[in-house]
Amino acid sequence: MINIKSDFPIFKNNPDLCYLDSAATTQKPNVVIDAVTDFYEKNYSSIHRGIYTLSQDATEMYENVRKKAVDFISASDSNEIIFTSGTTEAINFAAIGYFGKHLKKGDIVVLSEMEHHSNIVPWLILKQRIGIKLFFIPVTKDGNLDYKSIDLDFKKVKLVSLTHASNVLGTVNPISEIILFFKKKNPNTKILIDAAQSIPHLKIDVKKLNCDFLVFSSHKMLGPTGVGVLWAKKELLSDMSPVITGGHMIKTVSKEIVELADIPEKLEAGTKNIEGVIGLGAAIDYIEKIGFEKIKKDEKKLVEYTLKKFAKEEKVKLFGSHKSDQRLGVFSFAVGNIHSHDMAEILNRSGVAVRSGHHCAQVLMKALNISSTTRASIYIYNTTQDIDRLFAGIKEVKKVFRI
Amino acid sequence: MTNVKKLNNHDDSLYRELVLDHWENPLNYGKIKSPDIKSVGHNPVCGDQIEITAVVKKGVLTDVAFESTGCAISKASASLFLEKIKGEKIKKIRSLKPKDALEELGITLTPARTKCALLVFTTFQKHLK
Repeated sequence: MINIKSDFPIFKNNPDLCYLDSAATTQKPNVVIDAVTDFYEKNYSSIHRGIYTLSQDATEMYENVRKKAVDFISASDSNEIIFTSGTTEAINFAAIGYFGKHLKKGDIVVLSEMEHHSNIVPWLILKQRIGIKLFFIPVTKDGNLDYKSIDLDFKKVKLVSLTHASNVLGTVNPISEIILFFKKKNPNTKILIDAAQSIPHLKIDVKKLNCDFLVFSSHKMLGPTGVGVLWAKKELLSDMSPVITGGHMIKTVSKEIVELADIPEKLEAGTKNIEGVIGLGAAIDYIEKIGFEKIKKDEKKLVEYTLKKFAKEEKVKLFGSHKSDQRLGVFSFAVGNIHSHDMAEILNRSGVAVRSGHHCAQVLMKALNISSTTRASIYIYNTTQDIDRLFAGIKEVKKVFRI
Repeated sequence: MTNVKKLNNHDDSLYRELVLDHWENPLNYGKIKSPDIKSVGHNPVCGDQIEITAVVKKGVLTDVAFESTGCAISKASASLFLEKIKGEKIKKIRSLKPKDALEELGITLTPARTKCALLVFTTFQKHLK
């Protein structure tokens, strides 16, 4: 195994850091940091409008990332890639700009109980505004979606908006099968996939998936914060109204009327996060250089190692699946009746960074009848030593709390 | 104040005996039937919840209880603070400041954990306003 950790300066600067919060955000490799710095130092200028060389170069670099993003998710047309500020903004664009226009009172949007708030709140707002109905696919005890027994008026199901992987349980949903299930019931149902959790771990192919919208964030896949991607089929994007309007997204403006630009410009108003997009490009290159096969293989080993540790540790409850197949290295757990904040606090004392709380998934918390969990999540830079330190920390917590 | 172990010196150990005792065996834990005051508070950061029920007679807080899903810090803080104000005049309780709740714990808290410790205070004070 190559020493990936040395590519990440955060670990040089914090030698005692045991970072287990990659489901929240990943650390950044040198190549990404350098790409952003280099761009500022060598190529920085405004894009799309400058006649001068510097601006033309910057524009080319920005647009090249659009092409990289297309290949990264196996799409075919770079006009189908919209750079947003992140997954949240991307879902809002789809919810407000497309579905806000097309949904009527009584239409059904299918979500699941394991969605992040970013894929619940925009639809709750549409529910308040239009009177659409929301249906949540239930989550089973072992963290899977129980979709096969769903009985709905499928004619009314206009959208199924689902996460590819749970940010709490690590479950990788059988998204192709689920899409097939709903498309069979009603071929006109649109499918939106929230790939924020899966994109750093699994090869995404929007053609194979046959989804209509796909969204993800740069910062969860080694890239800079403040950048995300909204991909959708061309006809859907063309039919999408811009949520943000202003500079760059027009053909002509007069005192009376505005004629909007075509996609992607129409949906990228204002000056975008140029350096962030450049950094995302470097992140894509870095991930592709390592390769998804290697990422998957290495992570599976570490997941299996971690699952064995959880199985052996007394008074620890691991939520979700205990099998390494169809699962990411996201481990939500509870130790006795100790609250997750106390867990995280004590783990922090030995440099172990984990997440505690509801993980922006209060609907899931309610379904599991819990109020919070402690969550440890891994990525390519984590090692078995990190997992050993987590479990040493868990033992320390038990000692402090006398259980 | 009754039956509460209290250390005057600030201890830099977050989970000292006092906190753990109140976490394990919080005082005034539960729900009062037909209360005069019922106040529910949330910590949106973690989704924790506290429900305080209380009885007021002639301007005095004669009984108080709480139920919560919070962490050790928030539970211990609730236990200590409610024990402190039980038997006090509402007028006096209304004039209390956050530091009055924090000093009961006697530990140094980070900003995030201060929110945990103050959940009881903000939830109860909210109702008095």
